[in-house]
Amino acid sequence: MLMKYLFLSLLAAAVGWTQIAARAAHQADLDSFEYVWKTVRDKHWDPQLGGLDWQAVHDQFRPQIEKSENIEQTRQIITEMLDTLKLSHYRIIPGAVYSDLAKDSSVAVDGSVGLDVRILDGQAVVSSVEPMFPAKLLGIKPGWIIERIGRIDIPSLIKNFSTTAGGSTLRDLTLRRAILAHLEGIIGQNIVVEFLDEKDQLAIKTLTREPPKGTLTTLGFLGPAYVWFDARRIKDAQSTVEYTAFNMFLAPDTLMPAFGDAIQSCFKCDGFIVDLRGNPGGLGAMAMGLANWFVDQKDLRLGSLLLRDTALKFVLNPRPETYSGPLAILVDDTSASTAEIFAGGLQDLKRARIFGSRTAAAALPSVIERLPNGDAFQYAIANYVSEGGRELEGNGVIPDVEAGLTRAALLAGKDPALDAALQWIRTQKPKHE
Amino acid sequence: MLRYSGYELRSRNMNRAIFPLLLGCSLWTALAQDAPKQDAPKQDLPKGESILDRYVEVTGGKAAYDKIHNEVAKGTLELSGKNIKGTIVSYQAEPNKDYSAVDITGVGKVESGTDGTVAWERSAMAGPRIKTDVERDEMIRASAFNAHLNWRTLYDKVETAGSEAVDGDDCYKIVLTPKSGRPETEYYSKTTGLLVKTSSVNTTQMGDISTESFVKDYKAVNGVKMAFTRVNRVAGQEIQVHLDTIEVNADMPKDRFDLPEEIKALLRKNGAIPDAK
Repeated sequence: MLMKYLFLSLLAAAVGWTQIAARAAHQADLDSFEYVWKTVRDKHWDPQLGGLDWQAVHDQFRPQIEKSENIEQTRQIITEMLDTLKLSHYRIIPGAVYSDLAKDSSVAVDGSVGLDVRILDGQAVVSSVEPMFPAKLLGIKPGWIIERIGRIDIPSLIKNFSTTAGGSTLRDLTLRRAILAHLEGIIGQNIVVEFLDEKDQLAIKTLTREPPKGTLTTLGFLGPAYVWFDARRIKDAQSTVEYTAFNMFLAPDTLMPAFGDAIQSCFKCDGFIVDLRGNPGGLGAMAMGLANWFVDQKDLRLGSLLLRDTALKFVLNPRPETYSGPLAILVDDTSASTAEIFAGGLQDLKRARIFGSRTAAAALPSVIERLPNGDAFQYAIANYVSEGGRELEGNGVIPDVEAGLTRAALLAGKDPALDAALQWIRTQKPKHE
Repeated sequence: MLRYSGYELRSRNMNRAIFPLLLGCSLWTALAQDAPKQDAPKQDLPKGESILDRYVEVTGGKAAYDKIHNEVAKGTLELSGKNIKGTIVSYQAEPNKDYSAVDITGVGKVESGTDGTVAWERSAMAGPRIKTDVERDEMIRASAFNAHLNWRTLYDKVETAGSEAVDGDDCYKIVLTPKSGRPETEYYSKTTGLLVKTSSVNTTQMGDISTESFVKDYKAVNGVKMAFTRVNRVAGQEIQVHLDTIEVNADMPKDRFDLPEEIKALLRKNGAIPDAK
């Protein structure tokens, strides 16, 4: 009998504690909502928020938050509130990311199957396959279409998202990210992926997720990421060109010296290519650090940050030695933020020629802070205007030469943007000499 | 801003080292200046120079300062609420030599320094550059060692601008007008005589940036009280700097303040020093 009462007492205490914990969690969600709303009100670079009645937005969403039953609902409601701003760089990051980080940053990173993806004509098309990764070893090729990842039907995912995203410039960037997220997962685990091959025949492959290539880096609440840099010399009878690519503007301690080595090894090259396709940006100052290798004139700027009360200039400081030959930058609709600042700024300075397709038009400097409920909040604190006076947010960088990827080109082993850049460099050769 | 106990002023150069990090992290908002509070009639206030003299006395006195010829400070810094942390090390020596390095995880190292003539900066993100004009003058002035003993060579005037509470501590507010650059404001506790806050607009290549710094945690080092904590509010963000050690009259390498090779290369390129070839 004593045991029974003891058990009931413990049960009552547990129920009471659960109710207290639930109330505390709900209060944390309410506090998080208010924190986000006030932060936008106080720190958005435009105090008028482009004419949006922010108080009315608060009053619209507050009743929903009060009825929220869990953190997932809270996250969704706050996200919908932020969507009314119609701007990039406003998002809620689930707190679970940081729980994993606190344990071990290396295990918090998802494994990769070695595929990259683009949305072409409404289909998820393999755009590149990493050497030595499972996808390559299993014979998967650029141009194949991804139909299913595990239980996720990819055409349906694309169709549903395209309906809600409308004409957003971020549509393909977001879809690519979502599809890659389904491909990624715990290192060592398998995932079954259904493709349509070059003959549109169904090909079912079991891929093992492996550690991504590159250097693991962390920055504040951004979460862990692998940063890689590739450089290779493209030589033919007509020209010698240095080709470089990197996936993010992060890890400056390793990326910047690698980039510097690539340039210094090729001062006499006929051309230099920086491939920013798939690059979502990162540290803003790295755009200047890279551009400093390509200008030799003082007091040039990539653009300006417009804050609520002041403007800050992205001034270039030429390196002791610089590359003066033709510079081509490759972009597409998955090139965002710092990648757009770099490309758009050098385009305005007429120092680089841009090849590919329009960028993501998501170029706002932002910060990330933790919320009372454990999630994190990324928000923009300035607008960015390129040296030519263009607001990159919502507009993006328009290439000088439109040369977007197509499935047919990928299947044929072609890269229209790279091919166009090489062709242009060949025509510039006499000028450079 | 004068170099009183070494760290207070050097922190300003530390702030300069931090600016590019803030940019790198896209951490930029303007800082609103606080409105003055509790202003007292000026005729009741002590002169600015007597406030500075009192500071020297309460922190150790001229004789104690005269025994210090260089300093090495090491510590940590954190961008409040952003999970961005790093280390900081600073060297300073007579008459106006300075070298600071801030190294933040994921962002890399930002170094800055002056040999008394050339002011420079070099960051992992943006590369090397030479500071010019007002920015150079401000950095070299901020690097002056024991500047309080001859502040008249650095500033045209020091005026008491009023009284103001800083974190509940009633303070004298003085404005120092340099020979080049903008006036700088400092707040000294009426009770202790210690510097508790500085406020200035820093000239940077990117534009003018307002900075407020709250100076705390004074401890005696070689007979001179020095602050070990500084909370900087710059560009809308808060940066806390905590020093673990301040070593004075340290055995420094002779080349500690030599210009880095990349900076020399920039000077050669600009024709400021002859090409070795």
